[in-house]
Amino acid sequence: MNSTEVDILLVDDSQEDVDLTLHALRSENLANRVFVARDGEEALEFLFCTGPHAERSFDHPPKLVLLDLKLPKIDGMQVLERVKNDDRTRTIPVVLLTSSKEDRDRMVGYNLGVNSYLQKPVDFDAFRKLVKLSGLYWLVTNQPPVANGKAYSAGQSK
Amino acid sequence: MTKSLPRVLIVDDNPADVCLVREALAVTERESEVSSVGDGVEAMSFLTRKEKFADAFCPDLVILDLNLPRKDGQAVLASMKAAPALRKIPVVIFSTSQLPKDIVRSYELGANCYVRKPGNLNEFFYAVRSIEDFWFGFVNLPPRGE
Amino acid sequence: MSGAATQLGTQTPPQPGLKLRALLLEDNALDAALVVRALFKDGFDVKAHVVQDEAAFTNALRDDSPEVVLADYNLPTWKGMEALKVIRQEGLDIPMILVSGALGDVTAVECIKQGATDYVLKDGLARLPEVIRRALREKEERSLRRKVQEDLARKADELARSNADLEQFAYVASHDLQEPLRMVTAYTQLLAERYRGKLDENADKFIGYASEGALRMQVLIQDLLAFSRVGRNGSTSNSVDCNAVMAEVLQTLSPAIRESGAVVTCGTLPTVWADRTQVAQVFQNLIGNAIKFRGKEPPAVSVQAEKSGEQWQCSVSDNGIGIDSEYVEKIFVVFQRLHARDEYPGNGIGLAICKKIVERNGGKIWVESQPGCGSTFKFTLPSHDPEGEEVAR
Repeated sequence: MNSTEVDILLVDDSQEDVDLTLHALRSENLANRVFVARDGEEALEFLFCTGPHAERSFDHPPKLVLLDLKLPKIDGMQVLERVKNDDRTRTIPVVLLTSSKEDRDRMVGYNLGVNSYLQKPVDFDAFRKLVKLSGLYWLVTNQPPVANGKAYSAGQSK
Repeated sequence: MTKSLPRVLIVDDNPADVCLVREALAVTERESEVSSVGDGVEAMSFLTRKEKFADAFCPDLVILDLNLPRKDGQAVLASMKAAPALRKIPVVIFSTSQLPKDIVRSYELGANCYVRKPGNLNEFFYAVRSIEDFWFGFVNLPPRGE
Repeated sequence: MSGAATQLGTQTPPQPGLKLRALLLEDNALDAALVVRALFKDGFDVKAHVVQDEAAFTNALRDDSPEVVLADYNLPTWKGMEALKVIRQEGLDIPMILVSGALGDVTAVECIKQGATDYVLKDGLARLPEVIRRALREKEERSLRRKVQEDLARKADELARSNADLEQFAYVASHDLQEPLRMVTAYTQLLAERYRGKLDENADKFIGYASEGALRMQVLIQDLLAFSRVGRNGSTSNSVDCNAVMAEVLQTLSPAIRESGAVVTCGTLPTVWADRTQVAQVFQNLIGNAIKFRGKEPPAVSVQAEKSGEQWQCSVSDNGIGIDSEYVEKIFVVFQRLHARDEYPGNGIGLAICKKIVERNGGKIWVESQPGCGSTFKFTLPSHDPEGEEVAR
């Protein structure tokens, strides 16, 4: 898959949750443009166009990042912080999708600028419904700072 | 324990649009507390509970238009995200503008999302309902500061 | 013979003649006198100034504003042909006629190639007046032509500016109209929904009409905006692979294609030189129309291309309802519709947009059609940058 055409970056190390998420997205025809990263390091490489993802460009960011908190190598909160503190990636919508319901995590997340925080339901069906509707909200209702796969830059006027 | 109703602040200088959003929110099954202000300066007063807004609630969600008198939407956004007490409040930009510069600047300033105000009634209601469903139905909002 | 200039011939001819200021570049006084006499005899009221060298010549050019220069080919300190250079340097357009002794044909032709207007032999001075008259006539024609061109350029500029103003107006008007219109549309619809059956029966009908009108106005304004946007945002021409464009267009139209059971076939399409987004718009509008204005059978649309000189001619053929020959021009006009609103949807702007785009990109668009026999829309686009090199295919 051409990595410039990714709509959703899914960052999760749980195979079960990844499968569930992809399945839910597939039912809305969003699944064929999802890239899965298994840890925080790969997520950062993807978003910052380094390492194995050096051929990617900041001009073609994903429209949405679904980010778990508990990740190997680099955890979700650090990924969030890096993304939201860098001008090149700040505008990418990031949604925390995590089993944590800690108030602290929500506080920190929103303070860091996460676009929204979703708690993974334990229930299979509820999880699917959440993913489906969130996918629709962020890719259809929402206007991402991207059009035709290319990021808008503030200087442009089309 | 009664869970208190979700609270929405609408910031829009067009009373007709404010009325439409209120109508759209009213027809859903979910109840919410809705307040509205007509310009950016009032928005900041409301959020910081100044003067006549001393008893204002702290909103769980702000629906913000861009084109406002006195202080425009992006300036409000910037002020909100710069204030530690207001920073975590989710802001949905709700605007007719489709200009890339408006969209990207809003994200740069920390808007949580950007929704286009449709011209058609059904689409308008649908958009507001989507916003409400997502933010009050699925999202874990930040803990209420007060 | 001194190097000083001499004034000759302010004699008045027998009848009032054509006034002529002549600058003679000649070192022989007798030859100069003969030239003046030849002109005088032919009716010229000639005022001649004779010079022999470059300095005097240059000064005389500036001071006298001569209408013609008569130069000897060979002078002691200068060459007659050099006078041309001085004339050009001064930025003047004065005919220079060589008046010379024996001058080989080859030399004479060479002189004319280098810019001398004509040449006359000193033993053939009888020709001189006619030669001068012709030279003056040609100069007159040249000025006239130049003036006409300048007028044309100025008018073209005005037209371009006027067009730009109109487009700007159309854009601003349609853009600004959208907002209040949105209010009218939303609230008439809300009224329709909330109060249906609750007011008297006329109310439902009235609100219905208002609502429909508002909705139609919204679409009209959006179309007008789309039309006025063509070219507003600075279209950039590039080599555009029409096959890739078609793939995207078919993707965009897939709901309509699916719903109508349309079959769209494409030949191999060329690479053209145009604005990519606009090319996509043209294909989308034409194929969309082919699907929309279908007959009883599912639409069969064929997209082909063939080379036509320096351009590519693309065609979109369908098996739809066809168009009467008397309307083949009208359909390209903004908002011209041939059918009642409830027969076929749309505002009649799609083809106007196609025409605007195609013409802006240097092509033409037309239709060949018969009612009941389908239509073939054809348009041309350049195959390469008219100012650049041929695109490698």
